[in-house]
Amino acid sequence: MKSIYFSLLAGVLLLSGCQKDNFDPPSSTITGRVIYDNQPVGVRTNGVQLELWQRGFQLFTKIPVYVSQEGTFSAVVFDGDYKLVRLRGNGPWVDNSDTINVQVRGGAQVDVPVQPYFVIRNPAFQKTGTNITANCTIGQVATGRAIERVTLYVGATQFVDINNNAGSNSLTGAALSDLTKSLAFSAAVPAAVTGKGYCYARLGVKTVGVAEMLYSPVQKITL
Amino acid sequence: MNRFHKYLSIGLLTLSLTACKDDFLERQPPNIILEEQVWNDAKMITSLLANYYDRLPAHTQIDNGWDQFAAYDEAMWSGNNDGPNNIVSYGFERWRLWDYGLIRDINLALESIETKSTALSAAQKSQFSAEFRFLRAFMYFELVKRMGGVPIITKQLIYDFSGNPSSLQFPRNKESEVYDFIATELDAIKNDLGNTGSNTRANKFTAMALKSRAMLYAGSIAKYNNRMGAPISTPGGEVGIPAARAQEYYTKALEASKEVIAGPYQLYRANPNLGENFFEAITKKLNNSEVILAKDFLTAKDKRHSFSYDNIARNIREDNLSSSNVTPVLNLVEAYEYLDGTPGTLKTRTADDKDFIYYDNLSGPFANKDARLYGTVIYPGTSFKGQDVQIQAGVMVWNAASNSYQTIEGNTLGANHTDGRLLTGSSGPQRSQTEVSNTGFYLRKYIDPAPLSSTRGIRSDMWWVRFRLGEVLLNAAEAAFELGQTAEALTYVNRVRERAGFPANSLTSLTLARLQNERRVELAFEDHRVWDLKRWRIAHEIWNGNVTNPDAMMYALYPYRIVRPGDPRDGKYVFVKLLAPRFRAPRLFQMGNYYSSIDQNVINNNPKIVRNPFH
Repeated sequence: MKSIYFSLLAGVLLLSGCQKDNFDPPSSTITGRVIYDNQPVGVRTNGVQLELWQRGFQLFTKIPVYVSQEGTFSAVVFDGDYKLVRLRGNGPWVDNSDTINVQVRGGAQVDVPVQPYFVIRNPAFQKTGTNITANCTIGQVATGRAIERVTLYVGATQFVDINNNAGSNSLTGAALSDLTKSLAFSAAVPAAVTGKGYCYARLGVKTVGVAEMLYSPVQKITL
Repeated sequence: MNRFHKYLSIGLLTLSLTACKDDFLERQPPNIILEEQVWNDAKMITSLLANYYDRLPAHTQIDNGWDQFAAYDEAMWSGNNDGPNNIVSYGFERWRLWDYGLIRDINLALESIETKSTALSAAQKSQFSAEFRFLRAFMYFELVKRMGGVPIITKQLIYDFSGNPSSLQFPRNKESEVYDFIATELDAIKNDLGNTGSNTRANKFTAMALKSRAMLYAGSIAKYNNRMGAPISTPGGEVGIPAARAQEYYTKALEASKEVIAGPYQLYRANPNLGENFFEAITKKLNNSEVILAKDFLTAKDKRHSFSYDNIARNIREDNLSSSNVTPVLNLVEAYEYLDGTPGTLKTRTADDKDFIYYDNLSGPFANKDARLYGTVIYPGTSFKGQDVQIQAGVMVWNAASNSYQTIEGNTLGANHTDGRLLTGSSGPQRSQTEVSNTGFYLRKYIDPAPLSSTRGIRSDMWWVRFRLGEVLLNAAEAAFELGQTAEALTYVNRVRERAGFPANSLTSLTLARLQNERRVELAFEDHRVWDLKRWRIAHEIWNGNVTNPDAMMYALYPYRIVRPGDPRDGKYVFVKLLAPRFRAPRLFQMGNYYSSIDQNVINNNPKIVRNPFH
C-alpha cells in the first residue's frame, strides 16, 4: 500500500515541470511598412528582407525580417534597442546603408523609407472578353539604372508575383522607351483560373541589375 | 622458514644492487609522434599528405554531399522525404566555405619541412613542398569559386596574447588576385611535383589541369560578369574581375590545357561498345589512360563509401533498403543529342501531336543517341551488371467506346496486368513511392559494377574523378573559342564528341551555347554544372524560380505498354513526358547566390572582411 503511494508521489513529481529556470518567450512586436511617398511598396512575397541587429550580447547575428507582398513587416522580439538595416542589393530600391534605430518597449512601429528606381502609377485592371487588361504609367524616381521590363501577372491566388502566377504579359525594350506614355497590357485568362470565377492581377516593374521587382497592389478580378 | 628468509634476503640484496637502466624515465612515448620524427620520415609525410588530400572540400562528390546531385537540373530526389525536390530558393550560405584550418595546416607543414627536416634530401623536400603548395592552390580555388576574393594567407599566424588581435586580421584579397596567386603557384611548382604516372597524387599535368580550370573560371567571370545589366562587384574588387583581363585569363587557360593535352593522357577508348566505353572511362581504375587525378577508395583498407548502396537501380539492388535516391531527369536526358546532330528532344508524339509514336521496344526513343547518355544514365530497356533494369510505368488499355487510351499503373513493383504480362516494372517508375525512380531513369555513372558493392556490409570503392582529359579538352575548346581561335577549338571539342560516337569533325561551327551543352552532357554528375552556370552568369536565368520555365522544373518520362488486342499496335510501347510527380519547387537561383555569404562570426572576428553583394 505504502509503495503505491510512493510511486504515485514520484509520478506527480515527474509530471510537474520546472518553472524556475525558464524565461518567457519574446512578446514585443515590431511592425512597420516599407514606404515611398507615404505609400507602402509592393514586393514579392518571401523575397525581400530587412535585418535587425542588436549589439551588446555575445551572440551577434542578424534577425532576418521578411517584407510581405503589401510592403509590411513584423517581428516578435524581446524589449531592447535594435538597429534596422536595409540589406544592400536586396529590395527594388536604391541601396541605403543608413541605420534606423528602433527602441522596443512592449512594441514599436517603424516606417522604413526607401527610394525605388521606378514606381507604378495609376494601375488599373479590368476583364475584357477572355483577357485581363491593365494600364499604368511608370515613374522614374531614382536615376542611374535603366528599366528592364514591366509585366502584368495573373494568378490564381492572392499571392501574385514573378514566381507565383498562372499567366503574364511583358513589355520590354522599345515599348518602354517613352515612360511618359501610358502602358497597356493584355494577358489571356489562364485556363487554371477560368473555372474559379475570379483571379488576381498585379503589375511589376524590373530594374536592370536589381533582382527584385517592385509591384503594384494586388487586385481581385471577377470573371 | 629459515631457508625462505635466506632466499628472500639474497633476492632483495641482488635486486638493490642492480641499477636501473640509464633513462628509465626518458623513453620515447609509443603513442605520440614527435614533429622531428614526422619531418624526417618520407613515409610519415606521405601519410600527412594523404590526410590533406582527403580533406579537400567537396560540394557534390560521391562520398560527401552526393545528395545535392539532385538539387540542380541533372537529377531529382526519389528517396525518402522531399530531399532537394523542395528547395524554394538556394540559401545564400549554400556554397559557403571558409576552411582556413586546412590552409593553416599546409602552411605549417611548409614551414616545418624547412626547419625540422634534416634527413630528407633537398630533392625530396622540394617535391613534398610542391605537393603541399598544389593542395593549397586547390584549396584557394575552392574558396574563390564559392566566396570571391579571400585573404591569401601563406604563413602560419601566431597570436602573441597581447590583447590586440589586429595582426591576425587580414582583409580580403581581390578576386583576380586569388586567381593570379593560383596561377603563379602552380607554375612555380609544376616541375618539382614528381609523381609521374600517378593518378591519385598530383604531378605536373595535374597542376596544369587545375590551372586550366581555374583560369577558365577567371576568364569567364571577367567576360560574362561585365556583360550583365549590372555587374556583380564590390568597390574593392573582392568580387568581380575587370573585363580587360578576360583575354589574358583565357590565354593562360588555353596554354595550360595544351600542356596537359600534350602529356601522356589519351581519351579512354578500350571498349568497342561506346556506351560502356564512356562508363568505363570514368569508373575503370586499372589502366585508365584518361583520368588525371582521382580520389581513390579501397574496400580492403576500409576506405569506402555507400554511393552505390544509395543510388543503384531498384530491381538490381543487393540490399533490402535504400537505392534509387538520385535519379536523372528528362531535362538532362534530352540534352544528349542524336548522333546525326539533331537536338536530343525525345520523339514521343507524332508531328501533328494527335497520337503517340509507337516503339517496338522500350529503348526505342533512345536509338542513335550520343553514347554518353548510355554511360551516364540507365534508361528504359537497358541493363546494369548484366541484369535488365525493368522500367515501365504501366499499361495503356484501348477503350474503343471512348476512342481513347485508359492509363493503368500498378502499386506493386513488378506486378502483372490482367493479360498476364508486365504492368509496372520492378524498377518503376512510380508516382508516389520512395526509393524507386520517380523520373523513369537511374544513375549509371559512378555506380559500382562490382558484386555486392551495393550492400551495406561491403559497400563500394569506386573512385571520384577530380580531373580527366575529357574536361581539359573542353576547357581548351572553350578558351580557344573565346579567344577567337574557332578552328582550334573545333579540333578539341570534336575529339571529345568522336569518342561519344559522333562522326569525325561532327561540328563545323561553334557557339558558346554548343560548348555549354557539351560540358553539361560530358561532365554530368562530376560536380561541374552549378559552377559552370555560375561563371557564365546564366544560373539566375536558367533557374529563375518560375513554374512556367521548363529549365527550372524537372521532368520525367513514363513508358507504357499498349494493350489493344487485335491491333498491330498491341504490345508496343509509348512514352509520356510529364512533370516529375514528386518534384515540388522550381529551381530558384538569386543574384545573391553567385557569391556565398560570409559567416557573421568571421566578420565579427575580423572587421576588415567586406561582405559579398546582396547579403
